[in-house]
Amino acid sequence: MATTSTSLQSRVSIDRRIKDISFTTFLSISIVASLAFIFYIIYRLYNNAGYLLSWDLVTFFPSYDIDTAGFQSSIMGSIWVVGFATLFAVPVGVMTALYLEEFAGKRNRFTALIELNIQNLAGVPAVVFGLIGLAFIARGPLSWGFTVGSAAIVLGMLILPVIIIITREAIRAVPPSYKEGALALGATQWQAVNKLVIPSAIPGTATGTILAVSRAMGESAPLLLLGALSFVTFNPTGLDSGFTILPLAIFKYASDSREEFQVLASAGCLILLAILFAMNLSAILLRDYTLRKRNV
Amino acid sequence: MSMISNQSQASKVATSEPKKGSSPMSSATASRKPGEPLKFVDPVFTLKDVAVSYGNFVAVSDVNMQIPSHDITAFIGPSGCGKSTLLRTLNRTNDLIPGAKVHGSLFYHDADLYHPSASAVEVRRRIGMVFQKPNPFPKSIYENIAFGPKVNGRPKKSELDDIVEKSLKSAALWDEVKDRLNESALGLSGGQQQRLCIARSIAVEPEVILMDEPCSALDPIATLRIEELMAELKKQYTIVIVTHNMQQAARVSSYTAFYVTEVNLTSDRRTGKLVEFNETKKMFSTPDDERTEAYVTGKMG
Repeated sequence: MATTSTSLQSRVSIDRRIKDISFTTFLSISIVASLAFIFYIIYRLYNNAGYLLSWDLVTFFPSYDIDTAGFQSSIMGSIWVVGFATLFAVPVGVMTALYLEEFAGKRNRFTALIELNIQNLAGVPAVVFGLIGLAFIARGPLSWGFTVGSAAIVLGMLILPVIIIITREAIRAVPPSYKEGALALGATQWQAVNKLVIPSAIPGTATGTILAVSRAMGESAPLLLLGALSFVTFNPTGLDSGFTILPLAIFKYASDSREEFQVLASAGCLILLAILFAMNLSAILLRDYTLRKRNV
Repeated sequence: MSMISNQSQASKVATSEPKKGSSPMSSATASRKPGEPLKFVDPVFTLKDVAVSYGNFVAVSDVNMQIPSHDITAFIGPSGCGKSTLLRTLNRTNDLIPGAKVHGSLFYHDADLYHPSASAVEVRRRIGMVFQKPNPFPKSIYENIAFGPKVNGRPKKSELDDIVEKSLKSAALWDEVKDRLNESALGLSGGQQQRLCIARSIAVEPEVILMDEPCSALDPIATLRIEELMAELKKQYTIVIVTHNMQQAARVSSYTAFYVTEVNLTSDRRTGKLVEFNETKKMFSTPDDERTEAYVTGKMG
């Protein structure tokens, strides 16, 4: 046969093809829009304050003199507060998630109640945590004052539910066949969890935790209530030390009437963005590394 | 090879007459009326009126049977007949499913498997399990085998090396992997992974290996290798295998249990029942129950 009756031409109607194309176009526009927004902010900030970027910016303390004003105490304050918040929230969060997923037994009203409350906690506005911290930690029963310790506990509480939820997801994503296989070899529940479930859940947990911590890094509302706004010209020296944090230092400079200080605030934003960018990048690298290591 | 195993079976069949040239197989059945359960000397498992339920649902009930040692026993039957459930109760893997409950008495030698003082962890160390889908751990080949011995004690490195080599040799995998013991087990083919899982079970020196459709995810060549391996392993281990493949049951096992799903017409409840437990040869030639015959000849199921 010279000609063939088999037609391989698409039978999809023009109408449907248009719908197809317009949908994918819409999706790409969404991506471009969200990226453009971020790049525009960075561009504006850099355009505005790029010339200020130097080591002086991170080594100088706050000052009323623009030539010697910088962010050292607030950067150190952020690192101290977020660092201790992480030290507090990660172990507690991971262990809570492990208990709920592996040891709490079958679903009952008690675990359902815990679950509901964790979901609720994740949605509680940050400022509410600040008020609780003010009432119970800074003042009230604990009376720890406006210190790194109080702030770290409040920020830790803020990211705790997020860490619990993320870790549970990571644990659930571990194939049940690993645990089954381990138990079939005479391993105890704890051995199976410790040797197989936890190592397999580390990449997901680590990534999620870094994302939660970087959220804490940018958080300002709760710490506003814990005395972080004060003009601090020293680095924290311990948990009982006073402190300020980067977002609030930015806010303070931005609300200054002099324009040079507003530019300084833009420079502070660039520093904050750089820190967040570095943290998120490390989350990605860590995930890739642990995944590669798992597959030897 | 098959002659040796037949004789070893005969010595375990309690009702067998003195062997005077007659085939050991036939002597076991000759003294037994049709429908009378098989009895063995020192059976590994003795099940009396065993039923397994999940909540209100009874998956399988009224199972009475004994499973002989150092031999292969196959469970066959249509989907949903409870054969896998029953297999999983033999090493208390079913405990892990919320709501699962075992009724009746289930003895491992002279110990009650479900006695309150019996530890599920100890039970599973003695009674290993190989699953339907190969489930190597995301670790190296070496670490996969070493996992069991490590969780059961603190073996020295030299002891571990020996165990790994011995187990892989027993599972006929050593020659294929000896040069890449530190590579990920996930890089092995499906058939190799399943043999690795068998080697991993062997490494803790169980007495029994339960296999839940171990070849259903494998191609025919890999299946053949596993079957050859099973024939080798039964010299040292008691094997109970659930299979959907009747030819496989016929090829590898000495005894076969056939289960069906019985539907209660009034309540529409479906419950697995043991129809017949017999020598495999007899099951596939002259079974006692007509339902067995219908199933093995392909008229049912």
